[in-house]
Amino acid sequence: MSFLLRRVSITADGREIIRSSACDKNQISIGRDAACDVHLADLAVNPSHATITTNDGRHIEVQTTSGLGFEWDGRTVTSATIDAGDGAELRFGGHRITVGVDSEAPNPRILLTIARTDELSHSALDRDEAQAFSLRGLLPGRRLSAWAFSLLLLAAFLIAPIWAYMSWRGVEERPASFHADMSWSSGPLSSAHASLSRDCQSCHTDAFVAVTDTACKSCHDDAHDHAPMDRQLAARGEPGMFRAALIRIGAAFNRDQGRCVDCHNEHEGAGPMPATAQQFCTDCHQDMSSRLTDTRIGDAGDFGTSHPQFRPRVQVTPGATPRFARVTLNAQTSDVGGLKFPHNMHLQQAGGVARMARSLRMTNGRTSGLDCANCHKPTADGVRFEPVDMERDCQSCHSLSFESVGGVTRTLRHGEPGQVVADLYAYYRSTPPTRPISLGGMARRRPGEFAQGQIYNIYFRETAARPTRADDAVRAVFSRGGACYDCHTIFAPAAGNSNWRVLPVNQPMRYLEHGWFDHRPHDEEECSTCHAAARSSSANQLLIPEIKVCRDCHGGENSGADVESPCASCHEYHAGARANAPWQPARRSNGRRQEGRARRE
Amino acid sequence: MASRPKRRAAQGERQRSSLHTGFLAHASFAWLKVAILVSLTSLVSYFLVDVAPRHNGGSWYGYTLGTIGALLIVWLALLGIRKRAMTRGAWSLKAWTSAHVYLGLSLAVIGTLHSGFQLGWNVHTLSWSLMMLVIVSGIWGITVYSMLPSALSNNRDERTQAQMLDDIRGIDRQLHEAAQPLNADDAAIVRGSLDQDPFAGSTWSRLSGRYKDCATASALGAVRIHTGPRHDSGHDPMEKIDVLLTRKLAALGRLRRHLKLKALLEVWLYIHVPMTFALIAALTAHIVSVFFYW
Repeated sequence: MSFLLRRVSITADGREIIRSSACDKNQISIGRDAACDVHLADLAVNPSHATITTNDGRHIEVQTTSGLGFEWDGRTVTSATIDAGDGAELRFGGHRITVGVDSEAPNPRILLTIARTDELSHSALDRDEAQAFSLRGLLPGRRLSAWAFSLLLLAAFLIAPIWAYMSWRGVEERPASFHADMSWSSGPLSSAHASLSRDCQSCHTDAFVAVTDTACKSCHDDAHDHAPMDRQLAARGEPGMFRAALIRIGAAFNRDQGRCVDCHNEHEGAGPMPATAQQFCTDCHQDMSSRLTDTRIGDAGDFGTSHPQFRPRVQVTPGATPRFARVTLNAQTSDVGGLKFPHNMHLQQAGGVARMARSLRMTNGRTSGLDCANCHKPTADGVRFEPVDMERDCQSCHSLSFESVGGVTRTLRHGEPGQVVADLYAYYRSTPPTRPISLGGMARRRPGEFAQGQIYNIYFRETAARPTRADDAVRAVFSRGGACYDCHTIFAPAAGNSNWRVLPVNQPMRYLEHGWFDHRPHDEEECSTCHAAARSSSANQLLIPEIKVCRDCHGGENSGADVESPCASCHEYHAGARANAPWQPARRSNGRRQEGRARRE
Repeated sequence: MASRPKRRAAQGERQRSSLHTGFLAHASFAWLKVAILVSLTSLVSYFLVDVAPRHNGGSWYGYTLGTIGALLIVWLALLGIRKRAMTRGAWSLKAWTSAHVYLGLSLAVIGTLHSGFQLGWNVHTLSWSLMMLVIVSGIWGITVYSMLPSALSNNRDERTQAQMLDDIRGIDRQLHEAAQPLNADDAAIVRGSLDQDPFAGSTWSRLSGRYKDCATASALGAVRIHTGPRHDSGHDPMEKIDVLLTRKLAALGRLRRHLKLKALLEVWLYIHVPMTFALIAALTAHIVSVFFYW
């Protein structure tokens, strides 16, 4: 029994060389050792790796001798019995041994074909130099990733948002979840519109159509036009060449002038909508009279430097058919309200009024007499002050009581002269003057009892001086020295009737109807900082401060004043029939307010 | 007749100048000057132009910058097509590349001013970020192009890439031969080095030049345990293997430095080019979105 070993090797130019050698043994050895019958110069093979035994020249038994296995038809085994007639393929390291039968030999002989299949080393493998030495195999190809990224971005940021727009068209409110077109938002919406953040279509109603006023007015249905458009255009004047070009380009791109969004810029960040710049107003109002010659509105630029004097609406003629007029404010401006009231007397810190205030405990600790708050009460919102109310604000001093019945005080009815007359008539009809109790009784009166006589005298003098008739009492009340006359202008009745009339009193809560003034931000100031009440002797004197007083703190936008106040601080662009508080900027003071006050003090 | 030699001379001159000046210094930095002018003009006008309520891409000034920026991006990207045609002259590929580099840098100014520094999580800022990524990767590319070729050349030591690989193959053959007498365990050590692909390693290994799993280094370490404490006998096969592994490690080191430098020269394009296309996609979405929700 023997083996035929056939070695196949490949030359450098690719030719196969086959060398055959016979081995007349029943058992041959396989290994890296040169002494082995099958010498495999392969580091993956042990020096003495395995033996192959045959007894019949047909069947072989392969047995490892090193403990290291070998591959038999793809499986790793340590021993194998093989019918050489069926053939088999064994692998030892990088070598392949094909088992067969040498049919040409006279005696049965096992044919082992030995070939190296693997290269000596990895470096010996053929490779494309350009590929191996570049990053090409390591990173995804540039073209591939360019396509991948482009398509991904187009899908995520173009197709998906358009899809979202199409799916939610005409829907009033989208569900609170992510919508792809939110990625198109160029910035957070202002706090007023924050709830619309996911409902892009609430403003952007139609694709490729600039946000229309209709979209704004679907909620803001009470927004007034500032002025008729022709007058606005006239006030704006002819646009310059650059502006005209911008207008033309805007129109070409479907963005007309004068839309809400021209001024109300959105997507400019969370928080209040940014202030409309002063220039937006002054572009027209700065020297408007030169373009809009028939305007009655004064030219206005920066508040600190070029704003007309205030023009309060005052009552010129009081009475049943009063006449009002807007007048330019100055120190002499009067508002004939129909009341007699000397502020200076009431605010004196000494004298009768002050003494009475102290005795009634009306002083507040800081003053020794009355102060403004004793009579003037702010409105619930604190913006302005309520009209003075006689019963609440005056009567604690200016009492209208005339009788006490069983501990209950009877009071003349304020504001109802007819009732006053009627009450007095009724009183005189029913009562004599109250007789002092000490005058009655049987006690003997001795001479020299002066005190008693004094009481007596007071009583009878009183009795004597007392109007004996109701007519006199009524006249006294309405005449000089009487309770009504002190504060009101009285019209005496014609002879023969008792129709006493009182001039109606007008106490406006607001004089500046085209501007807004809010007392709240000024609550750290003393009233007297702006209102010169302590020097006013007449109620007709209008105590609204002139513009110069405001300018102590307020100046225009970027003026560096303590409080920079653009037009929108006091004026509302859309002011309609009911002028509300204008929009307020978030930052109203530039932080130097305290300093400014200290300086003034 | 007389004009012909003159033309030839002029051609020669042009050829010389185009051979000796790089694209950065092309035409005495003409495009650098243009780019500086463009950037300064944008910057100054940004501060002069009063946009209410504040600068943003949606003002007339923003749209102007945006249009310029978008056209510039498209033109810059066209270098990818233009580079396939080598020409000479005032509108040569070199001039085009020079303009590409400097105008690309000024795009950072134009694009950023266009944004009005209003950045957020949206498609608009995405476009800006991609633009900046492309520009920064371009700056990286210019930097490595001007710094690395000399290092590459020094490392090559006048050898070609194929020669570097052949060195390793030769050492491997010798290693294989020298390891024949070894026992199974020692042979396995050497085989580890032979079986490892000299080009193996992650992208990071390529870029950093650090190969933690280098089988040759660990094989040498293992062999040194054997050879280290012994005298040099001259007939211990491990001694020869020690020498061969040391040589292989040196050859690998040279190859890996070469790969690292080449990777650094190359890697920016793997960002620059795909991100350019991503930018064009994002820019398309950005522009469409602006007009869609006009």
